[in-house]
Amino acid sequence: MRSVYVIGAGMTRFGRSEWPLVDLAAAASLAALHHANLGKVPVNAVVVANMGAGRINRQTAIASALVDRLSLWPAAAEAVENGPASGASAVKVGYQAIASGMADVVLVTGVEMMRAVDGLEATDFVASLSQPEAEYIYGVTLPSLAGLFARLYMDRYGVERKHLALVAIKNHDNAMKNPYAHIHQPITMEGILTSPEAVVNNPPVAEPLHMFDCCPVSDGAAAVVLASEEVAAKLGAARVAIAGIGQATDTHAVHERQDPTDLKAVRLASAAAFDKAGLKPSDIDVAELHDAFTILEIAESEAAGFFKVGQAHKAIERGETKLTGKLPINPSGGLKAKGHPVGATGVAQLVELTWQLRGEATGRQVAKAKAAYACNFGGFGNNVVATVLRKEER
Amino acid sequence: MASVMDLEALLRPPAMEMPPYPPKAITLASGEEMIVRQASREEMPILLTAIYPLLLVERDYYDIVAARLYSELLAYKRYRVKDEYVLVGLIDGVLAGLVNGRLVDAKVGMSYHTLTIRRGLRVGSHLFAAKMEYHIEHCGQDEVLIVAESPIGFRRWMIEYPLDKKYEVQHELGGVPSWVLTRKTYFDAKPRLVSGRRPVPAEKLAAAVIRLPGEDAVRLQVTGEKGGKA
Amino acid sequence: MSEKVYAFRCTACGLVSYPKHAVCPKCRGETFEPVEIAGEGAVLTYTDVYALAIDYDTRYLRLAIVELDGGLRVTGQLLDESPKVGKRVRTTIGVVREPAGKPIYGLQFVPA
Repeated sequence: MRSVYVIGAGMTRFGRSEWPLVDLAAAASLAALHHANLGKVPVNAVVVANMGAGRINRQTAIASALVDRLSLWPAAAEAVENGPASGASAVKVGYQAIASGMADVVLVTGVEMMRAVDGLEATDFVASLSQPEAEYIYGVTLPSLAGLFARLYMDRYGVERKHLALVAIKNHDNAMKNPYAHIHQPITMEGILTSPEAVVNNPPVAEPLHMFDCCPVSDGAAAVVLASEEVAAKLGAARVAIAGIGQATDTHAVHERQDPTDLKAVRLASAAAFDKAGLKPSDIDVAELHDAFTILEIAESEAAGFFKVGQAHKAIERGETKLTGKLPINPSGGLKAKGHPVGATGVAQLVELTWQLRGEATGRQVAKAKAAYACNFGGFGNNVVATVLRKEER
Repeated sequence: MASVMDLEALLRPPAMEMPPYPPKAITLASGEEMIVRQASREEMPILLTAIYPLLLVERDYYDIVAARLYSELLAYKRYRVKDEYVLVGLIDGVLAGLVNGRLVDAKVGMSYHTLTIRRGLRVGSHLFAAKMEYHIEHCGQDEVLIVAESPIGFRRWMIEYPLDKKYEVQHELGGVPSWVLTRKTYFDAKPRLVSGRRPVPAEKLAAAVIRLPGEDAVRLQVTGEKGGKA
Repeated sequence: MSEKVYAFRCTACGLVSYPKHAVCPKCRGETFEPVEIAGEGAVLTYTDVYALAIDYDTRYLRLAIVELDGGLRVTGQLLDESPKVGKRVRTTIGVVREPAGKPIYGLQFVPA
């Protein structure tokens, strides 16, 4: 297999888009293409990650639409729908195309326009990824699966609401330093948990999870340009290699898992990605985790192998996952504060990590970052893609 | 023929005795403190200025709410509505949101509008709760008639309190079916929806002079339109 | 109350699965017989969810995963004013969703 490099990364600011879907995707794509500085080197293929355009934007075949908007004909084009893991899945498809020799340069763009519909419809559209006859019909939404998970997890490992709040506060603080983040609003422990007003400020969403444990509903797009070693060398691009990708699935219904607190797909996908990269979790300098809910940042950081099971909340108490800590997690602000346009998220995680490894994450740069890890968590953990990036010295 | 002054007496609705709303301070999620207090008639011009740019913002029904609120505040300023009151939320003096309503009679309140400028911090929820608090606890009313003009409002008031239907009564805001908050609903919801500390220290109150965020800031805050701009 | 909810017993190895799989997760058998889900069990976890999808106009829904006696786990609506992890409940069937006014029957749990 050939080595694959990320030679360009760009994104739009997450939030509420004034632009139609394909323009949003085009903006992120152009940012990545400019970053890659391809010159006359052609883009062979375009892979678009998107979960719901067919339903919420009433538009299908958006990869073809994006190629057209970017005048990239006759590049190959396809869309990847893999729930909230669509982004990293699309990067995997691009990676496979280059690794196999089918393409030399691939543009991967993730996009989602969730604010096109009202909140109920957006919640329902995401909920439709749950098991139809054993979960969805009961009113299961993603927050409810997270709530069911959080109660079990918190009871078992002594995680308290203050630990969840610490994750939220950290990610909101990081997002303040990220001009692309949806939420630019610092929050405090007093404001969301300890003051008498916190009960109103931070109402329950899915007990024991509250409003500030949950990501916002966002529009946004993110893109990376992938290239073969030969093209990367010819362009003199920074050497950010996709060192390993791992993917694993688990049961559709959460209740069928032997231990529902065990994020088995995260464990297996991460182990595979680390194995391929020839790295250990302790080699990682910076990580982007899929914190659609604060509890997931805690649980994923353990399942990925950064902390022993049941220990992450203690590391958070010690500040180890802050920007200045031993292992900064979600320097971008994470899904919690950067925002979560579902199809774009997995790509946006890799955009942030590419910038981090290139030393371009102005204002939130993790010093001397050489190796990075991303967890893109699809479904409620039933389809997970883990990616390890490594900066190679030239 | 009646003199001008006599005509004004005929046109101006007779006012009922209304207790003042005691100011309170609320710590928001951001750690910032919001002062909630009653706005005087003399403060209507600055509030009208604040609302004006929202008249053309279609997002989340801001245009309808702003247009109606504008007329209600203007009517209050010019003595053309009976027994209206206006409460404002101020963060460091900057207007974060406002609510208004009026008393129909001693026992029944009529909720008008809730307009949030600073979004994402439950400012609207706090201010709506303050409005209910005023009707039930300070004016001693039995019920408040409420309608929602936006899906957000519907979820915040009808579902979150939750309110009861009272479709047989006509709310003053057009033909939208009326809902009602009773004393029981209010006191049941109070622990999770009503908060704030009293009294507000005199120096804080003295500093709570209404200032306006810039027009662009208002528009950006209410629409949240920023995604897409790289 | 006419509707029932079924799990599926693999005719080869006897494993009962819910929801349905076309292939037995244990022995890869492909034939199953339906087993009505009914009985008592204990609440494994529950949540009050306020972030509801379309089709609901309540303030919140109380959902739970229940481990039935015998080990089968199921997700459903918990009709209990004082829920607690580990509390004994029994299954019942009720309307769990009404898209466009068409009732869907499913599992609900009440105190045993």
